[in-house]
Amino acid sequence: MTVAVRDDLWSAIGDPTRLRMLDLLLAGEAATATTLSEHLPVTRQAVAKHLGVLDRVGLVNVRPVGREMRYEVDEAQLAHAAAQLAAVGASWEARLRRIKQISEAIARRQEL
Amino acid sequence: MNYGSIEREIHIEAPPEVVFEVLTSPEHIKDWWEPGEVTLDARPGGAGEIVWGARSSPDGHVATLTVVDVVPPRLFSFRWVYPDGAVAGPGNSLLVTFEIRPSDTGSVLLLTETGFREKGWEAAVLEQQYQEHVQGWDHFVPRLAASATKLVASS
Repeated sequence: MTVAVRDDLWSAIGDPTRLRMLDLLLAGEAATATTLSEHLPVTRQAVAKHLGVLDRVGLVNVRPVGREMRYEVDEAQLAHAAAQLAAVGASWEARLRRIKQISEAIARRQEL
Repeated sequence: MNYGSIEREIHIEAPPEVVFEVLTSPEHIKDWWEPGEVTLDARPGGAGEIVWGARSSPDGHVATLTVVDVVPPRLFSFRWVYPDGAVAGPGNSLLVTFEIRPSDTGSVLLLTETGFREKGWEAAVLEQQYQEHVQGWDHFVPRLAASATKLVASS
C-alpha cells in the first residue's frame, strides 16, 4: 500500500494566508486572531476562519486566556507533517528497489 | 535536508529501454507500485489511474496522474496529488520525474518529486525557525526515523 498523503493537512497549509499565519505563530508567542490580523492584509474575521481550518487539522492549539483565545503551533502535528515527507521518500525508495529488480530480471532474460 | 523535494538515485543493471518500459507499462507498474488496477496513457497530457484496494471500499485509494513528459528511453514525468477534477499544474500537484541515464553496466535512474513547497510544505517544515523558537528538530527526528522505517517495512 502506498503512503496516503493527508490532503486535508496539506491543503490547510497550502493556503498563502495560513502559511503566513503559521510563520507568525512559529516566530513569536502564542497569538490571538487580533494580533495576527495586525500583521496580515486580512480582517480579524478572516484570520479567525483560517485559524479554524488550522485547528481542525490539529496544526494549532487554542486555549482561552481571559477574554481571548490564544493560538500556538502544535509541535506534534507539525512533526507529523514533516514525517509524512520523510515517509514519502522512504516509499519511493522501496518502489525504486522493485523497479531495479524487475528491470534486471527482464534484462537477464533477454541475454539468454 | 531539503524539505522541498525528494531526490533519489539508483543504479540498475539493465539497459535504459528496459527501465523505461518497466516505468511506463501498466503491466510492470502493477509489480512495482503494487496497486490492484492501473491504467496509463503514457503520452504527454495522457491520464492515468492507480487504484489500491477496492475502489468503493473505505480502504480503497485512487490516485489520478497526468503525464507531463515522455521521451523514450530517457524521461518520464507525471503530476499527481491534485484536487479531484482539477487540471494538474504547478502549485496544485506534485511532479514526479524519472530520468534514465545510460551507464557502463546498465542505467542510472534518477527520481525527483517536487511541489511540496508550493503545496505548502514550507510552513510545516520551517526548520530554522522551528529550531530557534521551539525545541528543535532533535526532539522529533527520532520519531521521523521510526515512522519511515515502519513504512518501509510495511510497503
